[in-house]
Amino acid sequence: MSAQKLDLSLYGVLVAAGILVPLLAPAFTSQMAILWLMVLMAVTWDMTGGQMGYNSLGNIAFFGIGMYASAVVQIGIVYDVAEYTAAFGAIKVDFTVEQYWTGLLLGIGFGGVVATVFALIIGPFMLGLRGPYFAIGTLGLAVAVAELVSGWSYVGGGSGISMPVFPGEAASGSQVFYVLLFVLAILAHVVIRAIYKTRFGLAINAIRDDEDKAEAMGIHTTRYKVTAWMVPAFFMGMAGAVFGNMSGFIEPLEVAFPTATFGIFMVAMALLGGKGTVWGPVLGAILFHIVKEVTWTHLLGWQWVALGAIIIINIVYFQQGILGWAQDRWPSLFGVTVDEKTTRTGQAEAAK
Amino acid sequence: MRFLKMDLRAATVAAALTASLGLAAAPAEAKVEGDTIILGSAISLTGKYSTNGIHAQNGYELGVKVINDNGGVVVGGKSYKLKIVYYDDESTPARGAQLAERLISQDGVKYMLGPYSSGLTKAIAPVTEKYKIPMVEAEGASRSLFTQGYRYLFAVLSTSEQYLASSIELAAEIAKKNGKKPSDVKVAMAFENDPFSLDVRAGVVDDAKRFGMKIVIDDKLPRDLSDMTSTLTKVKALKPDLLVISGHSKGAATAARQIAELKISTPMIAMTHCEAAKIISKFGAGATEGILCPTQWAETLSYKDDLFGTAAEYDSLFKKSFEGYKNVPYQAAQATAAVMVWKDAFERANSFDSEALRDAIADTDMNTFYGGIKFSPAGNNIAKPMVLRQIQDGNLNVVAPLKWASSEARHPRQPKY
Repeated sequence: MSAQKLDLSLYGVLVAAGILVPLLAPAFTSQMAILWLMVLMAVTWDMTGGQMGYNSLGNIAFFGIGMYASAVVQIGIVYDVAEYTAAFGAIKVDFTVEQYWTGLLLGIGFGGVVATVFALIIGPFMLGLRGPYFAIGTLGLAVAVAELVSGWSYVGGGSGISMPVFPGEAASGSQVFYVLLFVLAILAHVVIRAIYKTRFGLAINAIRDDEDKAEAMGIHTTRYKVTAWMVPAFFMGMAGAVFGNMSGFIEPLEVAFPTATFGIFMVAMALLGGKGTVWGPVLGAILFHIVKEVTWTHLLGWQWVALGAIIIINIVYFQQGILGWAQDRWPSLFGVTVDEKTTRTGQAEAAK
Repeated sequence: MRFLKMDLRAATVAAALTASLGLAAAPAEAKVEGDTIILGSAISLTGKYSTNGIHAQNGYELGVKVINDNGGVVVGGKSYKLKIVYYDDESTPARGAQLAERLISQDGVKYMLGPYSSGLTKAIAPVTEKYKIPMVEAEGASRSLFTQGYRYLFAVLSTSEQYLASSIELAAEIAKKNGKKPSDVKVAMAFENDPFSLDVRAGVVDDAKRFGMKIVIDDKLPRDLSDMTSTLTKVKALKPDLLVISGHSKGAATAARQIAELKISTPMIAMTHCEAAKIISKFGAGATEGILCPTQWAETLSYKDDLFGTAAEYDSLFKKSFEGYKNVPYQAAQATAAVMVWKDAFERANSFDSEALRDAIADTDMNTFYGGIKFSPAGNNIAKPMVLRQIQDGNLNVVAPLKWASSEARHPRQPKY
């Protein structure tokens, strides 16, 4: 079986699971929605972290920026944002059904666009840093953006924003946000996988393998790097907008810019599944999320220990992750052609 | 090919696992099991709000225990016991919202009690609102909770802007008594950056403006509430007449400790959550002498009901039931009051229907050991005042408003560091 067919069947499994699980176990819709969010985060992180070798710890900034951009748009089309977010609650809030849906759709689009523009502006500066400097720089970026937002009273500062309440039945609300996150996650994967198949994918791989050489070969590395950061930003921005509405209440430190949770999870998930592989982040996200939810339900108090243990075992014993290991073992299944002459076994055979 | 088979098999197993996980827990527990009514609450048992989360949980548990021991809740002629399902929200709003979702959609809870803090309440209220599940909360005071048009949110406590407003008034009175103008009073402020404290701040700023007072310091406490020396250094330099602080229990503990360490000599200091942070027993009567503490409730007030008796009787029952309390924090008392609201609503509605219960709660008009409870159309309690107490020789005495005052305010404060 070719790698392409394998991919198609995996998409089939994911879509089937995405449709069946909420139908069979409707009570788990919101946990499944978070699962898709995790998949989206890991997959988009892997574009820069895995394929381009730029380990960003700050992609969560795009998530929060998208969330806030969408909140401002959703509120702004009906009310004055500053009055709406005043700590003492200056206005009575009442959204009509139509205002809600227009706001939501505009907000999601706007969230994606604003996050992308942010990546475009900040990218050339941040992506001039390499290796650990880039990681720390982006971490600082995420923390700084969170602090700036939490001091900005126009968007409520630390008081946060209560999002418009979903009109209609509660169950349908969960389903709407589920479907949005599900579609976004699959779309992000399809788009990113398609990008990897192009010259662009080869270019960012070249940047990962040897950036100076890539530049010497005529690749305009900064332009490629910034573009490769804008794609995750776009999806993270939209996901943030959806998640904000799903949560119902957003505030800068824990909901919009959760650097220490989601911000680290996305890296841990990509590493667990195997960074730099097409399906690794997906697998990592699913495993990680299941462990997280199960320990949270049945081993309360130990959930962080369990997650910490996963990360430690992952980092110490199999850094290439689950699919990274599988890719080394069965390269042809991943569409990787190995020149047998250069491998150790190939050389041994040739010597005979 | 072999790999593919393995892969598909693994995928099937994974899918089956997920599904069985779902099915195992899916049959949602009924809201009423046999003769037990299940209430649900996500509460901060760990994280920065855990001190007060535990006070609130103790208050809920005492309410449940006393109600169950005294005939339970009578609905349709049958007596039911109360039980509360808790989850730890780790003091983070994102987790709180997820847990509320879990309580309602997976555990089948139809009657909610609130979490601790305005921030968590703001995170959970949209969820209960979405599912049309009534929530009686006792720990979310920010006014911004009551302007969202929430129909299912009811709060037994007074709103945040009232917490420190009376201390501004007191400062103005004292200034007049000393022959100064209230507008000469210099105010220093330090607030946590969260919905509750920002609303307390809004109340203080309004009142200070009304008297024309000058705000010389307007700082935010750091997010982990563990250090405020930078603010206190400024206080030493600028010598304000009044220092107001709000940062829940952790903020109060930090403030009391560092005020003693830096020997701050400001003549008047007011902070929220002194009792809950147990600052008197932690830092001594001498160091905390003269600090003003706003409170939702005090055991010396003349409130009473049939279940707990007077406020003083509740106070001694609470101290007997839980170890380590020199003063009963109002966070616990109001949590108990929230459970009483539920009992009252069940009995008046005589039904388990959440819509009928919502209407019954909205019509609440009762007197409790915690004070009167009557909800405005927005859901906040309008039948109960805030009072201001002062730490005097290690005791908390009510000094304002005058109607409830048991002693006179001491000014300037004379701490012994």
